[in-house]
Order: sequence, then C-alpha cells, then structure tokens
Amino acid sequence: MLRRLFVVLSSFLAVHGYSEPVTAPEELQTCVVCHGIELAGNQSVDAPNLSVLSAWYLKRQMQNYKQGLRAPHGSKDHVGREMAPLAADFGDDDMAVLEQYLADIPVFNAPVTIRGNASRGASLYISCSICHGADGEGNPTFNAPRLAGQSDWYLVRQLENFQRGIRGNSPEDLYGSQMRLSTSILTDRSAIEDVVAHVNTLKRGDH
Amino acid sequence: MAGETGTFSRRTFLNWVGAAGGSSAVYQASIALGLLPASDAVADRAALPNLDGARRSVVILGAGISGLACAYELERAGFACTVIEASNRIGGRNLTIRRGDVVDEAGYQQVCDFDDHPNLYFNAGPARIPGHHRLVLHYCKVLGVPLEVFVNENRHAWVHDSVAFEGRPVRLREFVTDARGFMTELMAKAISPGDFDAEFTEADAERFFLFLRRYGDLDENDVYRKSGRAGYAEGGMVKPAVYKAPYDFREILKHEFWTRGMHWTAAEDQAAPMMQAVGGNDQLVRGFVRHIESPIIVGAPVQSIMLREGGVDVIYAKGGASQTISADFCLNSIPKHLLPGIRNNFPADYLKGMESVGRGKLMKIGIQMAERFWEKQDIYGGISWTDQPIEQIWYPSHGIHDNKGVMLGAYVFNAGTCLEFGRLTPEERLARAIAQGEKIHPAYASHVQSGVSVVWHRMNHLLGCTAVWRRDTRERWFNRLQQPEGRHYLMGDQISYHPGWQEGALGSAHFALADLGKRVQAELGGDAVHA
Repeated sequence: MLRRLFVVLSSFLAVHGYSEPVTAPEELQTCVVCHGIELAGNQSVDAPNLSVLSAWYLKRQMQNYKQGLRAPHGSKDHVGREMAPLAADFGDDDMAVLEQYLADIPVFNAPVTIRGNASRGASLYISCSICHGADGEGNPTFNAPRLAGQSDWYLVRQLENFQRGIRGNSPEDLYGSQMRLSTSILTDRSAIEDVVAHVNTLKRGDH
Repeated sequence: MAGETGTFSRRTFLNWVGAAGGSSAVYQASIALGLLPASDAVADRAALPNLDGARRSVVILGAGISGLACAYELERAGFACTVIEASNRIGGRNLTIRRGDVVDEAGYQQVCDFDDHPNLYFNAGPARIPGHHRLVLHYCKVLGVPLEVFVNENRHAWVHDSVAFEGRPVRLREFVTDARGFMTELMAKAISPGDFDAEFTEADAERFFLFLRRYGDLDENDVYRKSGRAGYAEGGMVKPAVYKAPYDFREILKHEFWTRGMHWTAAEDQAAPMMQAVGGNDQLVRGFVRHIESPIIVGAPVQSIMLREGGVDVIYAKGGASQTISADFCLNSIPKHLLPGIRNNFPADYLKGMESVGRGKLMKIGIQMAERFWEKQDIYGGISWTDQPIEQIWYPSHGIHDNKGVMLGAYVFNAGTCLEFGRLTPEERLARAIAQGEKIHPAYASHVQSGVSVVWHRMNHLLGCTAVWRRDTRERWFNRLQQPEGRHYLMGDQISYHPGWQEGALGSAHFALADLGKRVQAELGGDAVHA
C-alpha cells in the first residue's frame, strides 16, 4: 500500500545531494536515541557529542561507570546517573561495535552555546594544552580526550563536576582525579566559560 | 471546638468579606453572565478534501495517538500514508502494561510479572477520559472501543500527611466535611447582615446564611458540631448512628491535601464522571490499528528529515540499514527534544523553538496486590493522597471483587521526585513506593506480588512526558511550532494547549490535517469534494 510513496535506497544520494547518515548497528540503537544520529550530541536531553571522542576514552569511561568511579549510586552527577545503567549493560562486544562505528562516522562539531571570553580563556588553556594538545585534539599518551568540537555546555558541566568533586573524586579514577586537581586553576564559573570559549575557537573536526 | 477557631482575627476576616461584599458589581455581573461558555466545538471528522484520483503522499513520524489518527483520517480521504515508529511498539505514551510486557526504559528494561489475567493491568500513560474530550470519545465510538466508568474521586479513600493528625491517614470524606464545616461556621459568625452593602438585600443575606448552613452542614445556630457526611464513628444501619467528633481545624490547615487533592476533581479534566477503555486504555490504539491499512513500520528510528521544495525526505533505520521515503507532506510527532539529535535542515529558529520547550517528567508504579485489601476498607476505585513522594495511590476501577488487583502505588507529578526515582533501580523504586504505601495501608507490603515502574523521562524513544510550556515559551514559540514549516508539520500533544492528554494530541492532529487539507484542495484548484 505504498502507492505513490516510493522507497529509494542508493539512488537517493545522487538525486538529492545530501548524504545518508551511517546507520547505527543494533547494539548502538539506544545510544543514538539520546546522543543523536551519528552520535553528534543533543543538548535537549543532556547528551554530549561522542563523535569527537576516541574509542579508548569511551571504553575507559564506560568502565568507570560500571565500576562506580563515575556517577556511582547516590552521586550528585545526575546526568551521569542517567548514563550509568546503560553503561552497565554495555559489554566488550558492544564496545567493539562502537569502536567500528566511531571509525565509520564523521567527526561533528557541536553548536556553540557558551559565551565566554576566549582570549582570557586562551591563557588559561595553556596548562590544559600540555595534555589535551594546543588544538584540543587530545592525546592518548596522556589519557587526555579530544576537546575540539565537543559540546561546550558539556565541557562546562564536566569542569564544574570535577571542581566540585562530583567527578574524579575516587582515587581509583586515576585520570579523573588528576583532572580534578587540574581544574583548581579555574577559580569560578566565568573562568570555566572562558576556557571553554577558547576551546570553541580551536581547529575543529571534519564538519 | 467551635471556640477554638477564634484564633483568626475577626477584623481581618471581616475586611476580606467587606472587600468581597463591596464588589457588588462582580456579583451582579455574574448573574448577568449566566451564559454558557462559548462552545469550543470540534468537528468529529478531520476537515480533509476527498482525494480520490489525485493522491498525495504523507509520511507520519511516530505511531502515537496523533500519528494513528492522521493515518486513519488521511487514508479515508484517499491519501497514501506510511507511519514510521522508532520503537517496537505502537501507541506512544498510550501504554497499558500487562503480563510479559517489556518496559523499554533506557538502561533498566523491565518485564512485567503480573499474573496473566484480563483485569491485571495498569495504564501507565493516559488513564482517564473526561466527557468533554470529544475527539477521544469520537474515536472510541467509531473504532468500537467500549468504555466504562473510571472512579477519579472516592470519599472513602485516604488522605495522608506526615505532619498532620500525627501522620495518621483520615478519610477523604471526613477531611472535606470538616473543612467545609469549619469554614462556613467561621463565615457565619464573622458576617452579620449589615456587612453587605445595599444591593445585597436582606432576603439575599438570609439565603446566604442558609447557603452556608447547608454547605457546611451547620446546626440551627450556625455551629459545626457534627455531620453524617463525614461518616459515622459507628452504627447508622441497625443501631443508632454515633457521630464522629470533628477534627481539629488546625490539623486540617497543616495538611497538604487541601493545597491540591481536595480540589482535584473540580478541574474540568478531572471531574466525574470519567471513563476508561474496558480492558486497558491501549484499546484505543488497537482500535486504530484494526482500522488502518497504511503500513506502520515499527523498530524504525528516524535518522534524517530533509525539507525540500514540494515535499519532505525522511531517512529511517530498519534492520541495520537505511531506508528513504519521500512524501508530499510530513506529519511529525517525534518528541521535540529528540529532533535536534536527528539530522535535519530545519530553519534555526524552528529548531530553537523545539529546544525551548521543556521535557516533562512523570512516573507511575503499578503494583499487583495478592488481595484487594482496599475493598475491605470500603474503597472501590479512586485515589488516596499523601504528602510523601509517591503523591497518590490509585485503586483500580475495574475488576471489583476479583481476588487480586493492580493498583497504582505511585503517581509522581513533581519533576524533582521523578528525577530522584529515575536514578534508582526499578527494585529500589518499588521498595520505596511500598514503604510509603505502608503509611496509608498498614501491612501494604504483605500484599505486594510484583511491581513495574514507568519513568517517562527515561523511556526509550520518548525521554519525556507532557511538554512543559512556560508562558514566555508559549508566547514566543507556540505559533511558530504549530504552523507548518514548508510541508512539514510538528504535532502531537506537545503542540497543543493540552499537553499530556490524548485530546491535545488529537486536537493537534486535526489542526495539522485541516491545514494540509486546505493546501491540497488549493493545489487541486479547490474543486475537490469535502468528505
């Protein structure tokens, strides 16, 4: 009963000139509900942009959620608590699927939503750049994730969480606790917004 | 007892009354305005041109109530429709939960373990239908969905507040009767006929005092001493009735019940009589599905919505592959907070509008009880109220005198409480609901067999309930979102003045259909025959 409706598969791209999104495999169907198609993020449901992140970082964060090092039961990281039960169900096989999917999808730049003083942020960022790189590209050697293109509201929230000891407060979370110490240079909310405003100016992803 | 109410300043009270008495213009106006409100009539059928021979295609996103109604109406008018639904279930937030049903919550999937029995279910979404929800009732009628009475208020039910009456629940009828008694006694004592201005005649005053007496069940001296309306302490059938002593009014004032629950059924949407579908409110969904021939593709999350000249292209995932569908129109009921996560070419302000409307949070917990113990306490259907986080306990209106029943152990409207419950595991939520239920029904826990929680803001593919419109977002964005963008219509209860109700969803659907119909008719030269 499709009648005049027509289903086009491969010819679509040629006809309309925009690309089809890379379909998430079954294992990742729940991820894209919140994090958006191709994991580009959705602020309306507090879901950050995962397309900028590397598999090694996501793997560790999933591990942290599972082990209660991030957003454990009773944590004030309320959004993290939304994520935690999903991480608990996410196995090694799923992780392998996610790794492949990350390789298949483009890197998206999240929209800019934070207004801070980027030039003030630039001087604050100097110490961040040691691990996260001058272009915010991240550095696996220092276990530092990519920042460029990440949802800015998410970076603000995480910096606040680190600062308040909501994230990185477990000594077993080695890199989180390191990050927690690093946020001591950000003395207030405007310093956080400034540094994130600077991150927004960095060379961003493919899109 | 009566003297104890004297802690109010009589002068203050008289000032209030004086203010009211002085505004006789209002009194006169309300007599003059004894008119019926202007009828907000809704056409039973959507206004669509009959398109036989000149078909248009419509892709409908979301198989909730608005999407299903659109498919039903459009295909009858000769349109070619396809419904795309992200989840594996048709119905959206119209969800009735029975044995074996999977509650698809992100991260906490539950499988309902109620007994397999036609009466053992609960409506996790829409649960009550008022008589003025004409579209819902229209569709129930034409789709052959039988209805039964739903009890929304029960004077035998309990009202409980942790700080009033030492935390002891009291019967709703006692609370309301005593509150009215005290209020009217106070008014009768505080007002003398001379307090009214000239336009309020002596005869009016006499009627006014009679009104107070009847309203509050005062005695001939305008004192509230006792009332059978509160129920008797004992007797009243074959032995003489022994009246209950009225409660201390200060306890009533402390109580949270009068802040909300006491007036609940005064609301147009909550007033008796109300209805529910026999066998669960998803019978409406089933009714639609029985009557719709168009394909309803489930398990098909939308990946991309692209507006173009003359139509809309939608890409959805199905079985791990992308499928594309191009249609002349798109009717979209996907929750507005999920649309920014779907690739689109919406204008920036259209998207901003969607992002500006809040995500509603509501939660229900259904609990199967081994015994309908509430019926032994004279409670047949209705709601008990508490100031605890669970807010309400519902007794099923159906299955009266069965052995078992599924009651609602929590209906949480408070967003903060919903978030808090949402962070718990389903087992922890149930344990909390049971502990709080114990405060109203001793030995509550001993009857519990199994429970299911539906936390709407965590439900997969929905991630929210009733859209939250503030006054400023209404003013700024409602019309923008209600009007089509090209050939794309946003709809559902979220795009109505009645979010959280099926009537809002259907009203929104009919609004979109009427507009779409007009456009198609214009395109066809205006000579299409109205269905």
